[in-house]
Amino acid sequence: MTDQDSKPSKAMETLQEISAWPLDRWPEQFPDARPFGYLNTHVPEEVLHAAGFTPLHVFGQRRAPERAETRLPGFTCWLVRSALDAAMAGELDFLAGMAFAHTCDSAQALADIWRLAVPSVPVLTLGTPVDLDTAGAREFLIADLGRFRDQVAALAGCLVTDSDLRASIALHNEIRCQVARLYALSDRLPSSTLLAALRAGHLTPRETYRDLLADLLTALEAENNPVVPDTPRLIVVGAHLDDTSLYEAIVEAGGQVVGDLLDLGHLHYSELAGEGGDPLAALADRYLAQVPIAAKTHPDRRRDDALLNLVRAHAADGVVLAPQKFCEPHGFDYVTMKNALDRADVPHLLVELEQAQVTGQMRTRLGAFVEMLS
Amino acid sequence: MVKKSYRKLRVAKDLTRMMSAYYAKIKVTSRLQPVAWVSSGAPVEVLVALGVLPLYPENYGAILGAQRVAVPLIEEAEARGYSPDLCSYATGHLGSVFAPEKAPMKGLPQPDMLVASNNICGTVVKWYEALADHLHVPLFVLDTPYVHGTEITDHAVEYVAAQMEAFIAWAEKLTGRRLKQKRFMQTLELSNEAVALWREIRELCVHRPSPLNAPDLFTQMAPIVVLRGTKQCVSYYRKLKAEVEERVESGIGAVPGERYRLLWDNIAIWPGLFRFYHLFSRAGACFVCDTYTHAWSMGLRTDDPIEGLARAYTAVYINMSIQARVGMMVDMAQRFGVDGAVLHANRSCKPYSLGQHDFRRAIMAKAGVPALILEADMCDTRAYAEGAIRTRVEAFLEMLSAA
Repeated sequence: MTDQDSKPSKAMETLQEISAWPLDRWPEQFPDARPFGYLNTHVPEEVLHAAGFTPLHVFGQRRAPERAETRLPGFTCWLVRSALDAAMAGELDFLAGMAFAHTCDSAQALADIWRLAVPSVPVLTLGTPVDLDTAGAREFLIADLGRFRDQVAALAGCLVTDSDLRASIALHNEIRCQVARLYALSDRLPSSTLLAALRAGHLTPRETYRDLLADLLTALEAENNPVVPDTPRLIVVGAHLDDTSLYEAIVEAGGQVVGDLLDLGHLHYSELAGEGGDPLAALADRYLAQVPIAAKTHPDRRRDDALLNLVRAHAADGVVLAPQKFCEPHGFDYVTMKNALDRADVPHLLVELEQAQVTGQMRTRLGAFVEMLS
Repeated sequence: MVKKSYRKLRVAKDLTRMMSAYYAKIKVTSRLQPVAWVSSGAPVEVLVALGVLPLYPENYGAILGAQRVAVPLIEEAEARGYSPDLCSYATGHLGSVFAPEKAPMKGLPQPDMLVASNNICGTVVKWYEALADHLHVPLFVLDTPYVHGTEITDHAVEYVAAQMEAFIAWAEKLTGRRLKQKRFMQTLELSNEAVALWREIRELCVHRPSPLNAPDLFTQMAPIVVLRGTKQCVSYYRKLKAEVEERVESGIGAVPGERYRLLWDNIAIWPGLFRFYHLFSRAGACFVCDTYTHAWSMGLRTDDPIEGLARAYTAVYINMSIQARVGMMVDMAQRFGVDGAVLHANRSCKPYSLGQHDFRRAIMAKAGVPALILEADMCDTRAYAEGAIRTRVEAFLEMLSAA
């Protein structure tokens, strides 16, 4: 085996390992990093990074909640319950703080409850406009980003200069371009590896992540006769996935995932931020240029159009809609997406995610769905 | 014979007449006036001053709940893919849009425009997006940043004010009318007057016995929601206030033989407006204050109406942090001298229901009274476990009697 052959599999392996680590193993893996938690897309990673922090997404844990039930009703989504449970158990004490960008009512409430329940991990919030096209949105977001930057800097104990921010924006843009290349090659990767590689982006110091992606991409692009499986090609829609089990179940069912409209997947990496001028304005402009996540809106830039564009771009055969149970934005969004897919004659399947991401019944339904597409 | 445990207000008849007339009238006026469907926290004063008829899908949802007819309509929405876990105001109302033949009054008259503000929840944004898609009418979303801190930031006020200007321009364009300053100011003043009267009426419940109980407040809030900014609303609340003052002066309580004074948190359990609340009133327990009808209590500054609207609509109760609401709730518990609190964990409403464990703790620790969390739903009777709720309420009342 040549050195070039072993490098991509090494990068692939590392990304998969990182994606599978339980959170409590994080500090020992990256002892020099200063992790700062976040729970949803739209937390400006660049600001955290520019202050010397490593943005770290708190994915849902796969165990029964023990403590969160004393703070939240049972009809709260697993993402919110699980994060609070881990924090209350002291499992997130290694975080320098926790950042929330405004998305849904539950995450908004969690930020307040966190402050009361887990005072050892300070909470920062960022207001993000709900209508990406509304009057005053840009000015408001720039001002709130300024407030957020100052609070991050205060926790870091350093100044965050425009030049720090610009360097950070350049790094994140580089990663966004790499991720776009990865999506373009998605059918050369096992589906679960594609998701693992995306998930690792939320769990790895960003310079390390860039290098790992570079290795992976170099190898993938160097393949002369890539084996592209001739199985039904699917797009997955949802907020995010706590592990790779849904993708694995799709492969087991005989399908493959070639793209996604996940808040923490395709949408998270879409659009580049400007690298010159006022960096906060650049971050605001990037936010306002994105396709809205389910909790946001835009009068013309519609999510169902974005989904149909993805279906066409990836020549997908079907769509798996995977909202979290009790998620209000994705619950409503599901119907809009379903109607658009029906109009376009694109087959789709709803799998509602709970604490366990994939159940036996879900596997059966996925099997039947993929069989229908074959 | 069932013991009478509840005193009806004389004006209740006027309210029924007024609201029936309102719903009858809108069928006619909606053909003559532009109609807007608006969320309960929308800056309706602008629309009223422009001669637009605002209609409230949330109020309609509450009517479906109170008349116990929500479930078949919710099922119409579910048949089209909406999850049973979503807000039952939204799914009930959407059901009435999909199947008007099954809906009371055949649903609300069709809108010419939609206005939703996320100061009460993010759900209205998605709900109104769905309506805009289905009905092909323009939607304005007013974004009022949630107040995590103690104060609304200056840039948030400027942002909401900028949108308020854009909203006026949008509504002017759609109606082909200009917002006349004089009429706008009159509407703002009428809105302020009604809000002040409503606040004063609610404050009269600090008296012992309390002149009003929660079901009174829940039914009497209808005008402040749907007729805010009109003369009719002000004159009704003047009349109501006079009767409530009369009760106070004569020492007449809403619940005869008031034994316990309670605080209510969250939206009403509409289908149980009498049966559920009767579990309390028959034991002499009166809900003297609540956090739902409190939501319409912010006055508007009229010296700078745009900034005034921006501030008032951003600072609505449910748009304030849980920390701020803990403070308001403890203050309410202490001022109204409550003996306990009942917190409705409402499956339909996350902004009201997340944080209730902290409210409960604070009420118990700072006001020194017991607090009960009860899970149910504001409209969906399928989420109301009658036996379990009765048992828990009885146990709570026993605990109060032992205190």
